[in-house]
Amino acid sequence: MRSRPWAGLALAAPALALVAIFFVGPLMMSAVLAFRGKDGGFTTEHFAKAFELYSTDLLFSAVIVVVSTAAIGAVAIAIAGYLTLGEHPRTQAILRWLYRWPLFIPFIVTAQVMRTFLAKNGMLNHVLIGGGLIDPLQAQSLLDWRGIVIAFVWKQAPFVTLLLAGAMAAIDRQHIEAARNLGAGRLRVLFGIVLPQSRRTLLVGLVLSFVTMLSVLSVPMMINPNSPTMLTVDIAYRINSHGDYAVANALCLMSLVLASFGAWFYLREAARKVERT
Amino acid sequence: MRNARITLCAALVAVGGALGFAGPAAAQTTINVVTAGDQNMVDYVNNFLGPRFEKQNPGVKVRAVGTGPGDAGSQKIYEKLSAQQKAGIASWDTDVAVVHQRGAATMVKENLLAPYRNDVAAGRLVTRDTARNALGQNVDGYVIPMFHSQIAFAYNPAVVRQPPRSYSELAEWVKKNPKQFGYNGVKGGMSGVGFVMGWVSANSGMADQLEKGPYDPAKKAVIDRSLASLKEFNQYVVMTPGNAGTLDMLNRGEIAMGPVWVDMFYTWVADGKMPPNIKLELPRPGLPGQPMYYVVPAKAANAQLARRFVDFAASPEIQAEGIVKQFNWYPGIDAQHVRSKMDEKSWNKLFTDISPEALASYGRPFPLSEYFTDILEGYERVVLK
Repeated sequence: MRSRPWAGLALAAPALALVAIFFVGPLMMSAVLAFRGKDGGFTTEHFAKAFELYSTDLLFSAVIVVVSTAAIGAVAIAIAGYLTLGEHPRTQAILRWLYRWPLFIPFIVTAQVMRTFLAKNGMLNHVLIGGGLIDPLQAQSLLDWRGIVIAFVWKQAPFVTLLLAGAMAAIDRQHIEAARNLGAGRLRVLFGIVLPQSRRTLLVGLVLSFVTMLSVLSVPMMINPNSPTMLTVDIAYRINSHGDYAVANALCLMSLVLASFGAWFYLREAARKVERT
Repeated sequence: MRNARITLCAALVAVGGALGFAGPAAAQTTINVVTAGDQNMVDYVNNFLGPRFEKQNPGVKVRAVGTGPGDAGSQKIYEKLSAQQKAGIASWDTDVAVVHQRGAATMVKENLLAPYRNDVAAGRLVTRDTARNALGQNVDGYVIPMFHSQIAFAYNPAVVRQPPRSYSELAEWVKKNPKQFGYNGVKGGMSGVGFVMGWVSANSGMADQLEKGPYDPAKKAVIDRSLASLKEFNQYVVMTPGNAGTLDMLNRGEIAMGPVWVDMFYTWVADGKMPPNIKLELPRPGLPGQPMYYVVPAKAANAQLARRFVDFAASPEIQAEGIVKQFNWYPGIDAQHVRSKMDEKSWNKLFTDISPEALASYGRPFPLSEYFTDILEGYERVVLK
């Protein structure tokens, strides 16, 4: 049969057009506007201003997202690992039922919940004080960078866990049983047998979380909109309070550079997978 | 088969009925009121103004749209009008807009608004300077204030016996009582912005020039110097997440004092979200307040109806019942016209903590737009770095 490349292209055309019109186009415009001065000529003054005012926030965003990603990884491994290797069916069932809940809760609701939960006189501290774990004077508000990290981990860990638990369940049980027969403890099995085989899924989940968290506005806006804060808040602020789209576009490009580390990682992993299959 | 026919007949009758009903409804005129500000602004139009206006004007429907709090909300309205102007559209779909001072100033400058104040009776009841001047821009004739709102310090008298009466006293006070004062910076709403403006007015020695001009870009250095002391001040205070965040923290007892919008504060007290013992105070030389304006776009589709709507909304009866009594704002039109329309007790409630005299002396306008921007950027450059 003769191959007809144009037919394939025609099939993909609507999707490509959508991507071009709604994604590539605006992205290009944003990039162009970030470099266009008041007189219409080329300028880097918007980037200079963005760096002058928001370099701390750029760093802050990167650190927050990296720390959150690491924590999400740890939580996901712990939960997925127990779901795969646990020996208590009832606990497993409860955990499996419970851990997905945050998946269905929007970021803004998460932020709202955290705002009352983590406040100085909020529920968390009340419980800790009531349980005699801390003195009332030791209670402190967690509504700063820690609040953002907690909200992100709470919201994103189930997503990564879902992917990871699926990948772990797909592993041939014989590998696990062979290791257990040879006397390996459960932790050893998790890190020596199960995790290496589901490593790729974990990385993909983490990369997707990384990029998602980078773009969330509601959580930093509601928990800690003051300095230092995340780039999304600054972008909204430049547009809303100053009508300054130029610096906002410069900030968008900076956050795009951060996100593209994630994209690069993702594509590299995807390419490797294709090579193998 | 027979059943199917009956169903079909019933469906036809239903469609006919619906069309019959749609007939008179289509003859209705809808007036679009687009308002910046918090949800209470939309509530005010939907629950209070709209039904009353519709009752007076059969066949008219009031549709309220909110564009969000702060200058950002006004900015969205500006962008929409500006886009319709640039596209050369003959009739714009916003009939009445409610905007902040900065938004109104830009809109007047770019000829987006109709000069309508002298066309309506209520226009003669406004003589305050805010009806003529918005942050340095002449808006005379284009706006009628819907209400005035004011930022003030709210404090818990159980913890703070003697509240600091000036910015310098406040600076001393926070050193003795660290983490007891909270405000929301410049990115979390206007009560924080207002506090920063008040601080610069008090500490730069150029209060008059900030409010009245002329604008001098060389004064950035002076502004930055006054902000340096704010950076030190910030070490002793709590940053709150937003206008409501400050009220939240006061309510939970996490801070003892902070700048808040007076109208929000009273509404929270009335709703039982704030202990009634919390008091208000205006520090010297003052904190800013601002009106929100009713404006009519230059090419509003229902221009005449829009004028009638604003005339109704700015009438003394509506200002007394809605603006002051139900929503706890200071009146938009001159106070004497409103006061005569309401009982003494409700009127006095507005002035429990802050007397009309204190309000007149220490309720300041916001700085000119250019200084406003300089101060905000100075804050980011000096205080947040």
